[in-house]
Amino acid sequence: MLTGALEGVKVLDLSGDIAGSFCARLLADYGAEVLKVEPPGGAALRRMGPFFHDDPHPDKSLFFLALNLNKKGATLNLETVTGQAILKRLVPHVDVIVETYRPGYLGSLGLGYEDLASLNPALTMTSITPFGQEGPYSQYRGEEIVNYAMGMIMSISGVQGREPLKHGGFQAQYEGGLFAAATTSMALFGSEFTGQGEHIDVSITECIASTMMATQTMYPFMGGTQVRRRASGSMFGHPMPCEDGWIIVQTGGGASWEDLAEFFQCPEMLEERFADRAQRAINGEELDRIVIESIKERSKWELFPKAAEYRMLFGLVQTPSELVDCPQLESRNFFREIEHPVMGKVKVPAELFKLSETPYKLERSAPTLGQDNREIYVDGLEYDDRQFTRLRQLGVI
Amino acid sequence: MPRLPLEGIRILDSTYVFALPYAGGHLADLGAEVIKIEGPGRPDVTRTGGYAGSFPENRAGEEWWNKPSTYNLLNRGKKSLVLDMGDERGRDLFREMVAVSDVVMENFTPRVMRRWNLDYPNLRKIKPDIILISNTGYGHGDGPYSGYPAQATTQEATHGHCWVTGYLDGEPAKAGASFVDFLSTWSAIFALGAALRYRNRTGKGQWIDIAMYQAGVMFLSEYLMDSSINGREGGRMGNRHPFRAPQGCYPALGRDQWITLSVGSDEEWESLCRLMGRGELAADSRFADILSRRRNHDEADEIIAAWTATTDKYELMHLLQGAGIPSGPVLTGRDIHYDPHYKHRGFLERVDFPEERGVGSRFLMGRPYKYSNTPMSIKGPGPKFGQNNEEMLKELLALDEATYQSLLDETIITTTPTSGDPSPQMEPARAVELGLLAAYDPEYLQKLGQA
Repeated sequence: MLTGALEGVKVLDLSGDIAGSFCARLLADYGAEVLKVEPPGGAALRRMGPFFHDDPHPDKSLFFLALNLNKKGATLNLETVTGQAILKRLVPHVDVIVETYRPGYLGSLGLGYEDLASLNPALTMTSITPFGQEGPYSQYRGEEIVNYAMGMIMSISGVQGREPLKHGGFQAQYEGGLFAAATTSMALFGSEFTGQGEHIDVSITECIASTMMATQTMYPFMGGTQVRRRASGSMFGHPMPCEDGWIIVQTGGGASWEDLAEFFQCPEMLEERFADRAQRAINGEELDRIVIESIKERSKWELFPKAAEYRMLFGLVQTPSELVDCPQLESRNFFREIEHPVMGKVKVPAELFKLSETPYKLERSAPTLGQDNREIYVDGLEYDDRQFTRLRQLGVI
Repeated sequence: MPRLPLEGIRILDSTYVFALPYAGGHLADLGAEVIKIEGPGRPDVTRTGGYAGSFPENRAGEEWWNKPSTYNLLNRGKKSLVLDMGDERGRDLFREMVAVSDVVMENFTPRVMRRWNLDYPNLRKIKPDIILISNTGYGHGDGPYSGYPAQATTQEATHGHCWVTGYLDGEPAKAGASFVDFLSTWSAIFALGAALRYRNRTGKGQWIDIAMYQAGVMFLSEYLMDSSINGREGGRMGNRHPFRAPQGCYPALGRDQWITLSVGSDEEWESLCRLMGRGELAADSRFADILSRRRNHDEADEIIAAWTATTDKYELMHLLQGAGIPSGPVLTGRDIHYDPHYKHRGFLERVDFPEERGVGSRFLMGRPYKYSNTPMSIKGPGPKFGQNNEEMLKELLALDEATYQSLLDETIITTTPTSGDPSPQMEPARAVELGLLAAYDPEYLQKLGQA
């Protein structure tokens, strides 16, 4: 009986970054058996904060923890001939490899998709890179800000008269990871019928670009180029300050303009100068002044449920600590507790979505460096103790 | 032709706006038969109003509801069945469709499908191995916000995105376009692949319950952990990076042209100084190591901006990347149509509309990924409203002519929406003047070869 939707799928996660780690974690979350394979010095993400109690220890990166839950971990030096031979011994037993090296790097080690697919034709290799495997920029270096810039979103984020603005955090990397997991799960379903794997080429920049529906299509449809919003004018659809933070209101939904005026206790909103969208855009600054004045002594927590009664499209700007304590997330069982061998009990963001028949399970914490080496190399590949020690001494594992 | 992964899979796509409609479009690329279901008085909002994107040549014209750009991008390759789900006869036909389908997608607020007796337990009675994908703002269940109306704009505040997005030390801000919608789009595709594999092996269906809010929160995992463990609240860093410096978006030659770059090491800083012809700054104590570069980030920004402002953004990228520094120009919706990398990868696909649609051919975005063994392409534009009513009802469900006619007479089905208006279009020149458009290129049809 399968208890995970992806149960039986075996994955090698060769990635050391956010996108690849997140992709492989999602596969693990829904039942795949994932082995994180790191260089003996550890994945780059282990050196990325935030750290547990701000202690920059390779087993205390909270970023690494969050993105490597539910995985086993082994070390392997792919730049040694022995390490390459070991990877090739693992390949016939796996269904998926997730990797995020610069295009061509694995091929230069004799570990490219063709090399490995010749050992296992059903192998799917998911490669996630800033610009994709091919094309004039494929060897260029990406960074979060570069993905947003070249993926169009920055051209319309921020305000006119100032520089374009990136998203906070590492949204592009997470998006690359999620999109890659989706293409991988589809390839796995396809291989149920063909017995054949795929080399999947995911471009993070294109992941961002693909979300720019109105921005891309405007040009071929009518020749226009979208713009960042004006620095002043109606703040509807943008955060507005209230007593204890910010709220955001979008017109539409189940609430009329009259409902909004009642909600804000602002009869002025019904005046002729705010009668339609065009009027409200022209008189946006005045509208902002009235609305913001009306909420400056009201709490976002009072306004949020009240807006729901009016069937308004309404949000409040939540901070990380508010999210950690959010009753909605609690009702969805979003956070779980896990025992980590070095950090102890920690609360982690766990479940992306719910599956009724094969519920999400948090079964293991992120691996400590080389945690499962013995199981993989001695129990699995049947190296004896003497050989196992030798692999460690030679810096292979 | 290689076999597409979703060949033979029939999907009833009763979804609106962006998130799941786009998932349906991608599933059509992957080979599924996707049937978009809309109500006679409930055409998708990407056909009408503010979410429609652009009309060809900025004119709504005849059958305007079949023409908008966003509608056709999101719903590419689908069939269309118009069915009044508010009427019991419509729901009965829907049930008959469920019986011959593999997947149902919906994004109603949680109470709606329950009220119609079309929730997962009821759908299973019709088709025991049905896979149901539900996307809601806050998720099903008994949480306090489960019944709240939701939409990406307001959710991006609620799920924490706005808290960390904004100019350095400025107010919280939204990204320029919808963002969280697409986390649901790809969550749905991911979950469906897994659910289909599971069904293939066990014969069982699955209910996939996606909450946009929850997906958005997941994407801030490191902030949540930093908060719960270290008590830190994160905040807004503008275009800066928590570890690398300097990083930013700087003016390039030309009006509203920009280049981004990110320096991650002393070596990269030294390379940048050499490129700028300011080799002496490499050893300058203000910038010699990462800590001093972070401390004096504003000064570094000024020096960089003075250098970038006189050079073309593409030339800057090639120079900087040539020196090993991550960099890229801010590309607009126009730029990518002429970018050699996007072109090489075939990211934009020319989609030919049937002659009678009066749209011609247009470039639409394909997929952000490629399969090595299974080439894919957009199968066609979004369907006309009710385009496949006859095929679905008369052929698939074998309704007789009289029944079909009575459904038409009572507007249970239709090919003309009974409500909705085209989004008002402004003259492009006027829109540029008002700052509502960055630019207008009157020769786009010829330049793109769409004419």
